[in-house]
Amino acid sequence: MKATLATVLLGLLLLSVAAWRDQPPAPPPGVTKLVWVSDDNPLRREQVRLFNRLNQDLEVSLDPNNGGNEKVIVQSIAGVGPDLFDCFNGADLDAYYRAGIALDVTDRLADHGIDIRQGFWPAILPTSIGPDGRVYGVPTNVGHNGIWFHKEIFEADGVPFPKTPWSTEEFIEVAKKLTKRDSTGRVVRYGFLIDYWGWRAFMPAFGASLYSRDRTRCTIDSPESIACLRFVHALMHVHRVSPTPTEESTMSAQGGWGMGSMTLFGARRGAMALGGRWWLATYRGRQDLQLGAAEPPFERFRAWTSAGRTTMINKNSPNREKAVRWLLFLAGQEYNQLINDQADGLAAVKRYCEGPRFLLNPRFPEEDHNAVWREVSARAVPEATSPFVNQRLANRLIDVQVDLLRTNQKPIEKALRDAARQVDAAIAQNLEKDPELRRKYERAQRGEEPVPVDEQAFELVRQMP
Amino acid sequence: MNLRFHRAMLVYLLLLLAAATTLVPFVWMALTSFKPLADVESINPWPKVWMPDNYAQVFSQIPFARYYLNSVLIAGWVTFLTVVTSAMAAFAFARLEWPGRNHVFRLYLATLMVPGVVTLIPSFALMVHLRLLDTYTGMIVPASFSAFGTFLLRQFMLTIPKALDEASLIDGASSWRVFTDVVLPLARPGVITLAIFTFLGNYGSFLWPLVMVKSGHLRTLPVGMLFFDGMYGRQTNLIMAASVMSLVPPMLLFIAGQKYLVRGIQLGAVKG
Amino acid sequence: MSPARDSTLAAKTRVAIGERPPRRRKRNDLIPALLFLLPNLFGFALFTVGPVGFSLLASFTDWNLTQPKVRWVALENFGGMLGNHAFWVYLVNTLYFMLGMPIAIVGSLALALLLNQKARGLVAFRTLLYLPSFTAGVALMILWKALYNPDFGPINYAIGAALDLLGLARDVSLPQWLNATQNMLGIDPETVRFSRAQVGLGARDALLWMGVWTAVGGGNMLLYLAALANVPEELTEAAELDGAGSWAKFRSVVWPQLAPTTFFIVVMSCIGGFQGGFDQARIMTNGGPAGTTTTLAFHIYQKAFEEFQMGYASAVSWALFALVFLVTVANWRFGNRAGDWE
Repeated sequence: MKATLATVLLGLLLLSVAAWRDQPPAPPPGVTKLVWVSDDNPLRREQVRLFNRLNQDLEVSLDPNNGGNEKVIVQSIAGVGPDLFDCFNGADLDAYYRAGIALDVTDRLADHGIDIRQGFWPAILPTSIGPDGRVYGVPTNVGHNGIWFHKEIFEADGVPFPKTPWSTEEFIEVAKKLTKRDSTGRVVRYGFLIDYWGWRAFMPAFGASLYSRDRTRCTIDSPESIACLRFVHALMHVHRVSPTPTEESTMSAQGGWGMGSMTLFGARRGAMALGGRWWLATYRGRQDLQLGAAEPPFERFRAWTSAGRTTMINKNSPNREKAVRWLLFLAGQEYNQLINDQADGLAAVKRYCEGPRFLLNPRFPEEDHNAVWREVSARAVPEATSPFVNQRLANRLIDVQVDLLRTNQKPIEKALRDAARQVDAAIAQNLEKDPELRRKYERAQRGEEPVPVDEQAFELVRQMP
Repeated sequence: MNLRFHRAMLVYLLLLLAAATTLVPFVWMALTSFKPLADVESINPWPKVWMPDNYAQVFSQIPFARYYLNSVLIAGWVTFLTVVTSAMAAFAFARLEWPGRNHVFRLYLATLMVPGVVTLIPSFALMVHLRLLDTYTGMIVPASFSAFGTFLLRQFMLTIPKALDEASLIDGASSWRVFTDVVLPLARPGVITLAIFTFLGNYGSFLWPLVMVKSGHLRTLPVGMLFFDGMYGRQTNLIMAASVMSLVPPMLLFIAGQKYLVRGIQLGAVKG
Repeated sequence: MSPARDSTLAAKTRVAIGERPPRRRKRNDLIPALLFLLPNLFGFALFTVGPVGFSLLASFTDWNLTQPKVRWVALENFGGMLGNHAFWVYLVNTLYFMLGMPIAIVGSLALALLLNQKARGLVAFRTLLYLPSFTAGVALMILWKALYNPDFGPINYAIGAALDLLGLARDVSLPQWLNATQNMLGIDPETVRFSRAQVGLGARDALLWMGVWTAVGGGNMLLYLAALANVPEELTEAAELDGAGSWAKFRSVVWPQLAPTTFFIVVMSCIGGFQGGFDQARIMTNGGPAGTTTTLAFHIYQKAFEEFQMGYASAVSWALFALVFLVTVANWRFGNRAGDWE
């Protein structure tokens, strides 16, 4: 046993020496390293390379994250957070803002003539603008959803490509025509693939919102919300053009984890699917796909839920002033054109989503749908959040009820009423604990609080033709 | 004779059945690692096209060898230190008699019962305070003083007849001699088991290295493999190829160690 | 086990290995004990006791990660927890998964006994059976999702074939596994009361059986193997001379020798059970459908890092601690009475 331990020790020492000798070269003098916590993927690496080439005195390096925000929070609370990190929605922004992690960059951006209220897609603003109206980051890209379709399936079935704008009834008719069954009645190809979260994308189209205008009540049980969920439910259970949760997991080995539709659509198990331009990042290598895209159907409004990302600077980073240069890069031409070229979603700056160069990239002449992505970005509406309840808790309460209604264990109205009641109870509980929050709540009820940024964005889209 | 043969056959049959079910995931994983990405979702486990290139892809897309080295290095050191410190502590708990022994032991046991999620922040703050963030030391040292290991080895040492070390003590041997020459060799199956557990646990550990590391060259395998599981699509085939390759070190350790797990101890030999 | 029988056998075996009866004189090895403990105790005090103590303090505060001010709230978190319906739902989920524990432990012991036979080729089997422990994690869970596939998965295929074989009409629909809230005990996902409509096989059962499968060939089997290796051959030989059959030999000689290991396994399984379900929830089900696979460990994570309520999360953690502690003490008492755990 002693000999074994000695051998192991020797081996470990040798390995340590090997690891020690194989150090990456230190950055040359005068170069500052910036750490960006984001998802580490080939697209992201290309973006970082471009920045490092343009800024010889800075070196951004990617630090991977796991989708949750433990890493940023744990590191930041201990005072050693990353220089740059990502934020995905208003609720996260609110947390970073209140924890004092996010740096106010309003004036720093203004010094360089950047006003994100003007140049960027309005729906992305709630991930950048704090509850105090100040700017805490610059949007990196947007990933708004549209309807992908297989051109050759439409052609083979003699169905004309979607003529948009199209209503939900027109949409259902098309989806029905494209749904194919075998002799036993089992669906072999669905008309429309929609992921678990898909119902949320359609909420604005029905004029529905998770919360009342003043954000004091959960309105998931409003007639508009009920209509929205009834539509999605009917796609699965009445018209049978979309897979039920069970059917979805039946078709795919991994399904049911948010990426189900993308892989199923790629395997032609559906003629249409709800998804973003970023799907191209996966599909571009596939010679066998002929893809088209259309805006999603409307009911009362041509508006659909947004998705996007903002990068922020850590307030306590010693390199915070230098990190501002990364934000300027995010707002600039080189970066935004790269985003559009990579199909890493769509550029967050409106200006770079214009002109013939944007509409038809000569490297990808078959991608004739960029105008569609621009249109859905202009019409995107951020999902409402409430300052009176943690959004992840609210989502969890709502998802439990949606699970029950999707599996037909509870009528839609009852499930949504229960969800709204539970979210309202959570709000009441928070008010009870926090007198300051209660005062804010009462002000909001009297209409004395400013209209939330996400509500402003919805208003804007509602007024569009 | 006939009865004996039937019994052996039954044993083999049962084992074969059990082994078959445990092999399924492994085979499936290996097969998936040879599939093209588009084929990954198909129900049929057999690849339509064989893509051995996936393995080369793993090395070309990420510095896999470096992550490999880091994982083996960190898990190796943690295992070594854990075995040494736990064995010593277990000896004190199992073979020595001193006032307050059981109270201290219960404190050890109690700390195992608090979920790790809520100690993440204080532990991390401590690391920052000790300036161990983004270092090998920060990933190795805190994991090397294991209450679990102490508990495990204590239980093993309890099964060794007390008469052995008492005889040695009467012969005038020091406690250290009793520990290294009598108890430790007899506790070998336990030590090997602990080594395997510790290595596996730390080799696969995810959250701690994730928050502790900022530099690319210190990433471990589970953290580095996040690259294939990005927000914009999961390269399941490459995840599987990387997983198959990352199985090798713990498997080698297990194969090397497992023969000691069943060698029955010869009490007489030790005594003489 | 009957005490009388044990005493005779124990006495015989003591004679067989030349052990003296236990001495009464109290020894005191305080100094060497301290020296042996020192390396571990130092690290343990610094890296474990510190953070654990910190979390105990935190459980009496309203510590919110997004709020700089922290207030002492005494027992408010614990009161809030007991009044929170979700806590009870998740406690039931956690306990449900622990139903698999005894099956897994007995299975591990059985496998270890099989592998401990003197026969050729067992080395290969040992490695094969321990494979699930190597393949643990994401890969394994993705695979299980495929196995539980309601239409094409091999599990339902086998169930269907068995039903056909028995000549049972196929009007019973096959289990929907990960998509269903149904479970063997018929627990309603919302009220946590029994409901006829909820009797079946669903996500909870899928994870339960997956856990059993993973655990049987896992660490416990290894621990039992190692413990079996430490059963002195003199003991078993003495029992054989005594004319004991296999079962008697197991009960009177092997089982008492395994007692400390069994104690370890039971305690660690309880700890693991109460703290379990995290990876499965995160990777396979996200705690659903309808919250049926959210365990307390996942709940603590959600409270701490999704809702940032570290104070509350710490309180739930310490409530879990209290539960595990009670169970361990019970084990200890019961074990000491039934045999010699320690």
